[in-house]
Amino acid sequence: MTRFDALPRDGFTGAHVRDGGQVIGTVGLGRRTPVLSVRQVSKRFGPVEALVDVDLVVHPHEVVALVGDNGAGKSTLAKVVSGVLQPDGGLIELDGEPTAIASPSDAHRAGIATVFQDYALCENLDVTANLFLGRELRERSLMRDGEMERVARRILRDLTSRIPSVRTPIGHLSAGQRQTVAIARTLIGSPRLVVLDEPTAALSVAHTAEVLTHIERLRELGLGVVLISHNLNDVRAVSDRIEVLRHGRNNGSFDAREVTQEDLLAAITGATQVATARPLDVVG
Amino acid sequence: MTGSQSSLRGANRALVVETVKRYGGLTQVELTAATGLSPATVSSIVKELLAAGVVDTRSTIRSGRRAQLVTIARRTGLAAGIDVGRRHLRVALADVTREIVAEQTLPLPAEHRADTTLDRAALLVVDLLERLGASLDDLLGLGVGLPAPVEPGTGTVTVRGVLRGWDEVPVVHVLSKRLAKPVLVDNEANLGALAESRFGAARGYQDVVYVSVGAGTGAGIVLSGHLHRGFGGTAGEIGHVQVDPQGRICRCGSRGCLDTVVGYPALVEPLTVSHGALTIRDVVQWATEGDPGCRQVVADAGAVIGVVVAGMAMVVNPQCIVVGGELAETGDVLVQPMREAIARRVPLNQVATLEVVPGELGVRASVLGALAMALEATDQAAVTGTSDIADLPDGLGGDGA
Repeated sequence: MTRFDALPRDGFTGAHVRDGGQVIGTVGLGRRTPVLSVRQVSKRFGPVEALVDVDLVVHPHEVVALVGDNGAGKSTLAKVVSGVLQPDGGLIELDGEPTAIASPSDAHRAGIATVFQDYALCENLDVTANLFLGRELRERSLMRDGEMERVARRILRDLTSRIPSVRTPIGHLSAGQRQTVAIARTLIGSPRLVVLDEPTAALSVAHTAEVLTHIERLRELGLGVVLISHNLNDVRAVSDRIEVLRHGRNNGSFDAREVTQEDLLAAITGATQVATARPLDVVG
Repeated sequence: MTGSQSSLRGANRALVVETVKRYGGLTQVELTAATGLSPATVSSIVKELLAAGVVDTRSTIRSGRRAQLVTIARRTGLAAGIDVGRRHLRVALADVTREIVAEQTLPLPAEHRADTTLDRAALLVVDLLERLGASLDDLLGLGVGLPAPVEPGTGTVTVRGVLRGWDEVPVVHVLSKRLAKPVLVDNEANLGALAESRFGAARGYQDVVYVSVGAGTGAGIVLSGHLHRGFGGTAGEIGHVQVDPQGRICRCGSRGCLDTVVGYPALVEPLTVSHGALTIRDVVQWATEGDPGCRQVVADAGAVIGVVVAGMAMVVNPQCIVVGGELAETGDVLVQPMREAIARRVPLNQVATLEVVPGELGVRASVLGALAMALEATDQAAVTGTSDIADLPDGLGGDGA
């Protein structure tokens, strides 16, 4: 142990320091505060129970995947977290503080950035304009175009992206490049949590590879990531933890490095029921 | 004044070449935006580079308009290198001058299976060819690296259980059937050794040991300039040298192998109490950033591996030991304890001291080795007129056994 006492500590910029300002040393990452903690959240659409007492916890520097069948509640949960939908009940904590996320702009202010399945990009605007859409940098009333372009270039470089120019209109980009722009968009401002809804759906292998590399990069930057996907290969490749949803309920939480494809499929299809479920949920 | 003008011109030219390399293929308009140079400058530089044979241009359509696609000029065909790791797939394309023209990494799940991974590898090769505006016809051959000992002729893993989900899969057959191209398969550490001795840290040395440290540990041995695979392809499998007689049972069936002590998950296990669940990448990132716990784990691994490598050095007597793999990204955190352990055990040679150095090619060593293997085989095929490169008698041709 003594061999590291001589280390210059002021130069240390590791994850411990970023992690809520905790001091390096004995304070472990295992006991850090989650960036997002969803407790017992429910959401109904008339007779449809979209979410029933759902729990979801995401730590900084962690990729948590949400998997499940169509209609399992994955996207509903993403919309609750990003302020698009209001839950009927339950508690949402950000960095340990109970928070109401009343609107998408609330979510953005709280450091939650979301990429939806349709990317929500403007075809006719260029990459920079899309990145800053709705939160343009201004000096009095004038837009700071140069500064925005500089930031856009830096973010794309941070993600090791392959988009050659920040002035290309989105309409001219491939599906994979659009997904890259959508992910880069989440890094504007200072996000703590990024929610990605089906980021690799309908992409070629090369573009999937790029997107998965971006997700690894977001994790390395110390962000919490919620990854919603159908593709269990992609999910197991980049996640730390996999949460299974079934009929709007939690149906298992797995360590992504340990779990087998079979166990995941069993939980998704309902062949296995979650052990921690409340008795009523287990029946059937 | 003219001096600085021409040096500026040179710098701009280098910038254009570098940018084209980074993106694979770019139109002139994109090149203007990506480099920040004026359209006129880009146009004249591209013309110069075209005349000098550095780049190629061809007409293409971008968003409905005609455009000039600029790519790095390649000499008669491309080769593909595929590095299959435990958690990643790395694919690179290079031309016969060994210039890498396209590259992409795909993260893989733990315990990934041969069918899915090889399918994605084949598709990734095709995607990358497309990015360059090339087709499968331009591909001369493929080199593949696996993190297990392989039988060179068929590319089948020779030791059962060490790479789960890949037992009895003839990788050569699967890929050559799929892409209709010659395929060569070798062990990942062997290919790292080949690359580091051809164009990395061990350039110019005849006898080299390359140690790859990551989720598992392996070594490649170069003797008198030739890769030594051994009779069954298991030469250098130091991950299965016993270091703890009372230790855990390894995937291979033996007890207390090096991999059970310093591989994944043993490597991250001591950190779970203080750091939570970690990946190898986390350990590397944080050890590099100065986290004491992660540095300790990496340094201890270096010391244990050093003892095993010392034994190897005694047998092989290399000029140089090159340390590569994911954990070598931590530099001297890993290498210094290895160096000390080796220095303590290998008798000092007055004539030529043994060097222990970090690799120069980093985590790309294996994919570069796979490319080198494929290209050297196609060179030979061209010289001797052999149609099937897998039949070559040379060590690189793959008769190994």
